[in-house]
Amino acid sequence: MLLMLLPAGLRRWLAHWRPAALLALGAAVVGSCATQPDALRAVPGTGQPANFPVMVYGLAKNPPDAAAFALGRRLFYDSQLSSDGRVSCGSCHQAAAAFAHPGHRFSPGVAGRLATRHAPALQNLRWRQGFLADGGVLSLELQTLAPLTSPDEMNTPLATALAKLNADPEYRRLFAAVYGPGKIDTPQFLRALAQFTAALTSANSRYDKYVRHEADGALTAPELRGRALFVAKCSGCHATDLFTDESFRNNGLDRTFAHDSGRAHITSRATDRGRFKVPSLRNVAHTAPYMHDGRFATLAQVLAHYAHGVQPSATLDPLLRQPSGRLGIPLSGAQQAELLAFLQTLTDDAFLTDPRLAPPAGPAFAKLAPLTAAARN
Amino acid sequence: MKNRSFPTLLAFLLTTTAVIFSGCKRDSDSQPTVGAISFEVKNVVDTQDLALDGTAYTATNGETFTVSTFEYYISNIKLTKSDGTTYAVPAEYRLINTAKPDSNRFTLRNIPVGSYTGVSFIVGVDSTTTKSDPLALAGALNPANSMYWAWSTGHIFLKLEGTVTSTRPNKALTCHIGGYRAPYSAIVTAAPSLNGATLVVRASQLPKITLAADVRKLFDGPTKFALSSFPTTMMPSAASVQVANNYAAGMFSVKQIQAN
Repeated sequence: MLLMLLPAGLRRWLAHWRPAALLALGAAVVGSCATQPDALRAVPGTGQPANFPVMVYGLAKNPPDAAAFALGRRLFYDSQLSSDGRVSCGSCHQAAAAFAHPGHRFSPGVAGRLATRHAPALQNLRWRQGFLADGGVLSLELQTLAPLTSPDEMNTPLATALAKLNADPEYRRLFAAVYGPGKIDTPQFLRALAQFTAALTSANSRYDKYVRHEADGALTAPELRGRALFVAKCSGCHATDLFTDESFRNNGLDRTFAHDSGRAHITSRATDRGRFKVPSLRNVAHTAPYMHDGRFATLAQVLAHYAHGVQPSATLDPLLRQPSGRLGIPLSGAQQAELLAFLQTLTDDAFLTDPRLAPPAGPAFAKLAPLTAAARN
Repeated sequence: MKNRSFPTLLAFLLTTTAVIFSGCKRDSDSQPTVGAISFEVKNVVDTQDLALDGTAYTATNGETFTVSTFEYYISNIKLTKSDGTTYAVPAEYRLINTAKPDSNRFTLRNIPVGSYTGVSFIVGVDSTTTKSDPLALAGALNPANSMYWAWSTGHIFLKLEGTVTSTRPNKALTCHIGGYRAPYSAIVTAAPSLNGATLVVRASQLPKITLAADVRKLFDGPTKFALSSFPTTMMPSAASVQVANNYAAGMFSVKQIQAN
């Protein structure tokens, strides 16, 4: 089937030069892995951090490229992709907040309409299995479509977005430079945006440097006690150095889930009611408010919830039921303070302030700059 | 530049492998043993052609409605011979869109010659394909066709939009059917009877099969729906499965088979 996509002449050529082509292509593939071209080095977040699991969205799926990354960055921050021209991806996903939306439980989309869930942080997306709090979206590339087309967010059908891009000579030029001449199509658009979203790697917090035995990787005694507590009490869900096991769990926010059934919204299974994707805790000190509905404004409130706010329901996660029958995670005030100290070590300032991830320069993106600056204060 | 050509190289590598395999196959069946079938589906309400111009139609229970959008996928077409053997037409995904008259006519090529007495197809998209890499979803399957759920990866298999005009006030009619997960999988197969006729495929002729797809049957099948109380169906649910079973059971009928 793939063969049919190629022009007949090329097919004949391939058929004729089969063995030679295989050898040459094999050599080229090996060669491109061994040497890191300049184009790849110019794209942030392409490395495999030593303390991370293996990437899900590997580099080969959409090879990082400086021009494609720049294009993806431009798309991410371009509010022309929304139906009223006022909302970009970057409006609700701000770099200084690890691409969450500080201060907003529900982000305003076009015409001020509110999203139904809190805008989550966007980081280390190469390692994600499924997207959205309910896991409804199966790939990083497809994730673009959810906020783009949602009537409460950017409210632009994919065909309309493609038509806008194709009507813009500058985008035509930029896409052609990366993907060759012709109309901008769905794969090009999704690939270009994923060049940017896949580059949002946060792996250089003080905690990372500590576990990798790198310079500036010292943790204080309270932070180390907090880490030991974290491993004992939190890592059952917030596992690995991504701080999530990517599972869906009911963490006892409510007794019923009439407003948002979480994973059950996708699977229609009663056993999935109230289950939501375990979020990463990287940069968690900067991603408030917390939970899928942003109900907690501070980390102290989050810890207080686990200590004494967990609500019972049929699907409550077993890890939140103590053998004694008590709900939640026993945490003294002192322990909560140590956990908070540890969570601060997950802040990756280099990521939060990476100029390569900020809105691009130019009048079209100028109005985003004050928003980003305000978020940093 | 080198890294940019990586996906292209990978595609070539896969393609080259494909060439080798298909090359082997081609050697063994060099006889002209295939023909083609012309396929047409007419969207109708009872005996009238469906129009999207505000024409009011009458459902089987007497309620009236108009239609502004009616489109659906046909895929995984299978042809059955009188001896019970079946030929599965590969990689055929068609989006029948009432607003695009040319979309309801297509030709199935490379069909093994023979006499076929049965036809079946999925009204929708198989789960493997609808979950697959979006970068491979071209043509009818392109998410830009607005037959795609962005919030829960997968295609909308059938979309009917319009207005129920027999209620006061009038009521929006919104019916998006999709989903491939139990218990609400809406992947259904239609197998309209050829009414005893035979579809004869020869290298020298192009037989034609003409089907009608009757919108009324969405609401009148194993499950009877009143339009006045029909729920807005925009995600997998018990009702969406009932609608899917309705259209699988009775929406399609074979109107004509021409030998040509």
